[in-house]
Amino acid sequence: MSRSELLRWGAGVLVVLASTVIGAWMPRASGPPQVRRIEVKARQYAYDPPTIEVNQGDTVRLKLTSQDVVHGFYLEAYDLQATIMPQSPYVEVSRPSRPEEKPEKLEEVEFVADRTGKFRYRCSHTCGTMHPFMSGELVVKPNRLLGGGVGAFAGMLIAGCLLACVLGNGSGEAAVANSGRSPHAIP
Amino acid sequence: MTGKTQNADPPNEGTVAVGDKGRTAQPRVGGGSPAWRLDLLAVIPGLRWLVKRRWLQFAVVFPNLVFFYLFLIAGVFGSPVGNRNIIIIFVWILWWFLLITLMVPFASRVWCTVCPFPFFGEWLQRGALIGTRVGKPGVGRNRMFGLNLRWPKALSNIWLQNFGFLGLCTFSVALVTRPIVSVFVLGGLFVVATILHLVFRQRAFCNYVCPVSGFLSLYSMTSMLEVRSKEAEVCSKCADKGCLAGNESGWGCPWFMYPSRMDRNNYCGLCTECLKTCPYDNMTLRLRPFCSDTRIKGYDESWKAFIMLTLALAYSMTLLGPWATIKDWANASETGQWGGFALYAASLWMSALCILPGVFFGSVWLGRLLGGGAPKPLKDLFLGWSYTLVPLGLLAWIAFSFPLIFVNGSYIISVLSDPMGRGWDLLGTADFKWTPYHPELLAWIQVPLLGIGLFFALRTGYRFAQSRFGSTRSSILGFSPLAVLLTAIACGFLRLFVG
Repeated sequence: MSRSELLRWGAGVLVVLASTVIGAWMPRASGPPQVRRIEVKARQYAYDPPTIEVNQGDTVRLKLTSQDVVHGFYLEAYDLQATIMPQSPYVEVSRPSRPEEKPEKLEEVEFVADRTGKFRYRCSHTCGTMHPFMSGELVVKPNRLLGGGVGAFAGMLIAGCLLACVLGNGSGEAAVANSGRSPHAIP
Repeated sequence: MTGKTQNADPPNEGTVAVGDKGRTAQPRVGGGSPAWRLDLLAVIPGLRWLVKRRWLQFAVVFPNLVFFYLFLIAGVFGSPVGNRNIIIIFVWILWWFLLITLMVPFASRVWCTVCPFPFFGEWLQRGALIGTRVGKPGVGRNRMFGLNLRWPKALSNIWLQNFGFLGLCTFSVALVTRPIVSVFVLGGLFVVATILHLVFRQRAFCNYVCPVSGFLSLYSMTSMLEVRSKEAEVCSKCADKGCLAGNESGWGCPWFMYPSRMDRNNYCGLCTECLKTCPYDNMTLRLRPFCSDTRIKGYDESWKAFIMLTLALAYSMTLLGPWATIKDWANASETGQWGGFALYAASLWMSALCILPGVFFGSVWLGRLLGGGAPKPLKDLFLGWSYTLVPLGLLAWIAFSFPLIFVNGSYIISVLSDPMGRGWDLLGTADFKWTPYHPELLAWIQVPLLGIGLFFALRTGYRFAQSRFGSTRSSILGFSPLAVLLTAIACGFLRLFVG
């Protein structure tokens, strides 16, 4: 790789990094931490509400119910799993990281939303044909990964434009056409 | 220059292996530094010997065929619950993941090398499992059985595969969750492949009908593996043309390709026959940079790119998304919401066949306007730029596929012990609990994957613009509408995966 190419790549990476940082920095939580009580109804093969939005630091209390069969509630990144029985006010709550512990029977599941981003809650109890695809979303704001991702993608666009303008097009005249599928007639 | 030479003969045939162990270099679309090639037969000991063995393909297909039959049996007689049946877990989770994340980007159409669908058809057609036959009647110099009809010219494209794949994917929820549906579809493809081999010559089924082959052909353009001739001059002087017509050493290319002139991966099934038939040892297997084939040849291929991108989006919403209504509509065979299903199917087909191509066309048209200069044929710009959807689509599919294995991969361990969901415990792992593997890390994998897809889309798109518009200013202006569209699509996936 020539020095000018190295410089071009370096400058491009810098622009993308800068826009990633700016993008990740921009999202803000929409208020101070609070206690949020949310009722989540499970049914084949979705949860209602499908998306729960909270702020980082919020204490989230979930009342989990099932409208048809036995469902599970596995919340990724929060080491939380529950079994939801139909027509029962209680759920059996356990921690996947501690399989030796006996599940607790609770009316509500509580956790502090300390990790930001999007996390899915999934059914962990086989509930029918589409069971592997039964999921909902917990979005803990500020979602810096989304902001950073959008920033990075926009940065690629900007970096491409800037570098093309600053460094010129090099050898744009040489278009090599790899010309097609060439089906043949068998002799 | 350490062993690299720049090849002055466009396109990419005629590279001569020089310097350190078969590294060669080739000019690139839009100019710039030459792209490297690495002759794998020169650097990997024993590989040349292996690919020249006639038994190679049989040795890899036959075990696959046995597994395929076992899966079909499990699908018929096993549990109707998908995650307890090996056909669903191994085909739609493990196979799909390996295919889209490893085989396609790194080994081109290697799946076609091991695919069991054409096994019986090809056997009946050739009258041989391993050896070759020379004589008449047949195709080229090879003696073949069956009707050996030519495939209709009007269907010599991938439109059938486009519509077939879109049709299958419309019923994807049933397909990937109900073992018996998988049996009907996969078994049906097997039967169709066998019949078509008896009616039409060579691999007409694979080239023009198989729905999997359609997207493999498109995405293999990105692959880092290629079969190519080493020296164009050797091929041009070759009187034997064994790669095309076959000879005592092997069959003429079953994929209707002229291997010595092959310059794209699209329709090469990596059967390695040309490596066996070449009397001058002039065909080889090479490693190359990602996204080396960049030329979309026709609208059928462009539309395949639109269809695949739309399906990646639709699957990400239907299977990975949280929306009950969409799931209920897509799952109409269980929910009975056929009206919703009709709307879902219509939206899918409209998006894949009209809306995305329409928006894409609009950005190409605007780009031509902004780029200025001498008028450029819209068709040329449309086809050339539609390649940008290939890396973006492939990487979106890869990003979609990671959750399948991270979240549901543990089912592989349990179904290994109880493949039919009948309470067996063959390996002592039947009770292995569903254990997602660090699903919280998925987003950190998906974002870079989408970024890589967008990077290659923007890069190839801009290079194509350079080749058509010439000046930097015109190229940037010309490509800008499409670049914005590509970035917006990538952000749309980002929103679905991490937003």
